[in-house]
Amino acid sequence: MTGQAQILPGNLDLLILKAASLGPLHGYGILLRIEQISRGALLIEQGALYPALFRLVRQGLLKPSWGTSDNNRRAKFYELTSSGRKRLRQETKDWNRLVTAIASALGTQPEEV
Amino acid sequence: MKVVAFLRSLASGLLHRSQIEAEMDEELRAHIANRADDLQRSGLPRAEAERRARIEFGGQERYKEECREERGGAWLESLWTDVRFGLRMLVKSRGFSALAVLTLALGIGANAAIFSMVNALLLHPYHFRDLDALVRVWEDRGIDEGYDARYVAPADATELSTHNEIFENVTTYDMRSFSLGAGSEIQPVLGCRVTANFFDLLSVSPAAGRLFSPGEEQPGADQVAIVSHGFWEGRFAGDPRLLGGKISLNGRSYSIVGIMPKDFDYPVPVELWVPLVLTPEEKADRAQLSLQVLGRLKEGVTLDQARATLAGFSRRLEQDYPKTNTGRTMKALQLRKELYVFTLPLFLLLQAAAGFVLLLACGNLANLVFARMIGRQREIALRSALGAGRGRLGQLFLSETLLYSMAAGVVAITASFASVRALRASIPAGWTKWVPGWDGIRVDGNVLAVTILVALGTGLVLGLATVVHATHVELNNTLKETGPGSVTPAKRRVRSALVVAQVMFAFVLLVCAGLTIQGFARLARVYQGFEPASALRVEISLPEKAYPDTVRITNFYQQLLRGTASLPGVQHASLITNPPASNVDSETTFFNIGGQPALKAGEAPSADLQIATPDFFATLKISLVSGRLLSEADSANAARVVVISRGMAERFWPGADPVGHRIKLGTVDSAEPWVTIAGVVGDVRQNWWNPMTRPVIYKPFAQSAQRSMTLLLRTATNPTSYVSGIREVTGRIDPGIALRGVATLQEEVSDSIAIVRIMGILMGIFGLVALVLLSVGVYGVLSESVAQRTREIGIRLALGAETDALMKLILGHALKLTAIGLGIALPVSFAISRAMASLIFGIVSMDVTILAGFTALLFLVALGAGYLPARRAMRIDPMVALRYE
Repeated sequence: MTGQAQILPGNLDLLILKAASLGPLHGYGILLRIEQISRGALLIEQGALYPALFRLVRQGLLKPSWGTSDNNRRAKFYELTSSGRKRLRQETKDWNRLVTAIASALGTQPEEV
Repeated sequence: MKVVAFLRSLASGLLHRSQIEAEMDEELRAHIANRADDLQRSGLPRAEAERRARIEFGGQERYKEECREERGGAWLESLWTDVRFGLRMLVKSRGFSALAVLTLALGIGANAAIFSMVNALLLHPYHFRDLDALVRVWEDRGIDEGYDARYVAPADATELSTHNEIFENVTTYDMRSFSLGAGSEIQPVLGCRVTANFFDLLSVSPAAGRLFSPGEEQPGADQVAIVSHGFWEGRFAGDPRLLGGKISLNGRSYSIVGIMPKDFDYPVPVELWVPLVLTPEEKADRAQLSLQVLGRLKEGVTLDQARATLAGFSRRLEQDYPKTNTGRTMKALQLRKELYVFTLPLFLLLQAAAGFVLLLACGNLANLVFARMIGRQREIALRSALGAGRGRLGQLFLSETLLYSMAAGVVAITASFASVRALRASIPAGWTKWVPGWDGIRVDGNVLAVTILVALGTGLVLGLATVVHATHVELNNTLKETGPGSVTPAKRRVRSALVVAQVMFAFVLLVCAGLTIQGFARLARVYQGFEPASALRVEISLPEKAYPDTVRITNFYQQLLRGTASLPGVQHASLITNPPASNVDSETTFFNIGGQPALKAGEAPSADLQIATPDFFATLKISLVSGRLLSEADSANAARVVVISRGMAERFWPGADPVGHRIKLGTVDSAEPWVTIAGVVGDVRQNWWNPMTRPVIYKPFAQSAQRSMTLLLRTATNPTSYVSGIREVTGRIDPGIALRGVATLQEEVSDSIAIVRIMGILMGIFGLVALVLLSVGVYGVLSESVAQRTREIGIRLALGAETDALMKLILGHALKLTAIGLGIALPVSFAISRAMASLIFGIVSMDVTILAGFTALLFLVALGAGYLPARRAMRIDPMVALRYE
């Protein structure tokens, strides 16, 4: 599995929120969605997804509900709440700012100093 | 919003626990099934696809546990689980639990009992409003000895009470003995003369009637009295008509205007209070320190400020009245502390000792718990493998140790009801009535709160120690092992360190206990210089009206002495003003030495003044040092003589014999005649707090007769059998005279040091408990270490090791730990005992033999505690040992 990056602990929450913002998903679906939107570049421990989901539910960012998956299994679907949406916007902004800052820092050439 | 979500999930977490568990299971199962579907689609067989899906998912139980932690309310739920688990463990290993709970209960109980004393005696001795603002003020001449000498000259007291920048109010008072009643029914009562604001200052109100008004401080208007509850009930059977009625005191008629509540007994348990009225001469007196002063500080004035102001005030008095006030300084002390100047360090010592006992108990319990943790290593490893984090394990251990400590707290509180009662009853009531707050020694809210806090703290500390100690588990190795858990060297070191600490605590505690007990034992023998056995004492007080002059007083006492001396079995009969062990300081007097330059009032030395009949020295078997004793020849008309104590002779006539020298009592300009020193007698300790060599002057009774005297009899047999004889003799001379304070001198001596003795006993108990706890601790660690080293010992034995060498190995371990502990504790104890010697002056003194003795004792205890494990090691069968694991 070369080319896959281990994600940092805090970022899993952000990715879950993003995945859920594209429509209600069950746990396995979120996992697939993250793989899909990151084009398989991110490695996620499957089991670690669930404590994160429970955490986001407790924080009121996700809303769980039971439904039936496309292969006819009962599954718990997670849907983004309005405060989850707000949080996602905020975190995305913060993330972009951080990435820009670090990229510009790393892109600095010797003559620019 | 967040809070609502949290609460909702908390509530649902608590309410639908099983449902949530089931849903979590289902969710994870669905995930794995979905994954397996995908894998199957990619071409794997179903079974292999499911296996791969499970592996990819990771430890299900671990993630479930993490989910539970993420969900709100998990901690509450798991706490409940842990408490139930703890309770199950507690019940399952009954022996261990009983030992743990009892050990802790011992430590906590000791603290509860001592704190109940500290709480009542030091924190709540009186129930006056804003007790901390009440201060006793006195003039210190710098040369007075004894700690009861806290008096102020009347004129200085008057000036002090106008000093209202620091005091809200100032009251003065003095103690007086009154003759109550008239005719044939005169009884002595102890009373207190007080200024009219006395009760207001203390902010107490009468149970019935009223307090004094300022006008009643004037001569003529002062024939009013307030009586104590005890007086009302004891002498008038609680008759309500007493209020407004009249009683006769010293032949004058007083109206009773008030009755005080039951618990009011300031300054000491007296029977009545009357207004303090001084003659103009008395009021102007600056020379004699005769009144006691109590002030209430203004709000916001600190004790230090008051002390500074008083120092300035005395400097001004010194300038204005150099003749009388030179060298005098006004001092102030909180009322609360006054009574405990001496005993405060003792109480603190006791509380500290109780704390040490608790520390030792904790050490033992920690050892027990740690030892059990070794057995539970696999359980802990399993829990960690299943996803219990350090916090989760910590909660488990905390709930277990807290359960133990709370159970111990309950046992301790239950036991302390009995132990506190025993403590209170251990000292005769006749003596403890003089100790303010003694009746308040009980398990009250404060004591309960402190006990519960101590128990909680103990459980927390133990639990945290266990967490730190036990949660580092090497998962793989522990789970793979098949034998009982093993101990890493680091953990063994921790347990050895615990033993070292226990040796330290025990040693310091033992040394403190040893020093105090030695001091108390010395105190018990403190009344040397006289023979208390077979001596009876009876206080007699003649009413002023029937005995207005010296002739009648002398007559009465002469007949009394003749009558009692002729009772069969009485060897000696004599009179003295203040017998030893009376718990009252003797009257003091200044004196000047003939042939030496006269000293100013402030510099004149002082001595105790006693008035005695010739036989006094024979009655108490006080030795003659030089010269002669008082004799019948020293009559009223003969030359004035005195006998002095050896301590006085050695201090003021060092290296010389004072017999034949002359002294003058009082200040240099007093009207007292010069008197000749006829003899020197051995030193007698007046009270246990007085120094032995305190100067004493004995005046012959015939030359200075006094109404209140104590009759002393030396008898051949049981002294109490003579009481009726004395009563008969007294009745024949004057049926109106009451006998008071009838007791054997031996009783007085042991009663007077009762509180000191009980403290010695408590310290002794603490010391013993410390020894027991220590030996259990050493034994526990050594047996554990032998058990751990069974294999090693087996190999050694198989290779031909001598059993002696093995014995040495194990005992050497015990001795090494003890030696390290002692190495740290010796300098500490040395410093502590030095501090104690200076704090508890006169009782405790440095003693190297105690240090040496306890060092030897602790080594013996270590050897004894190590012997059993060592024997067990010697008996190990190499074959069994090698097969052991």
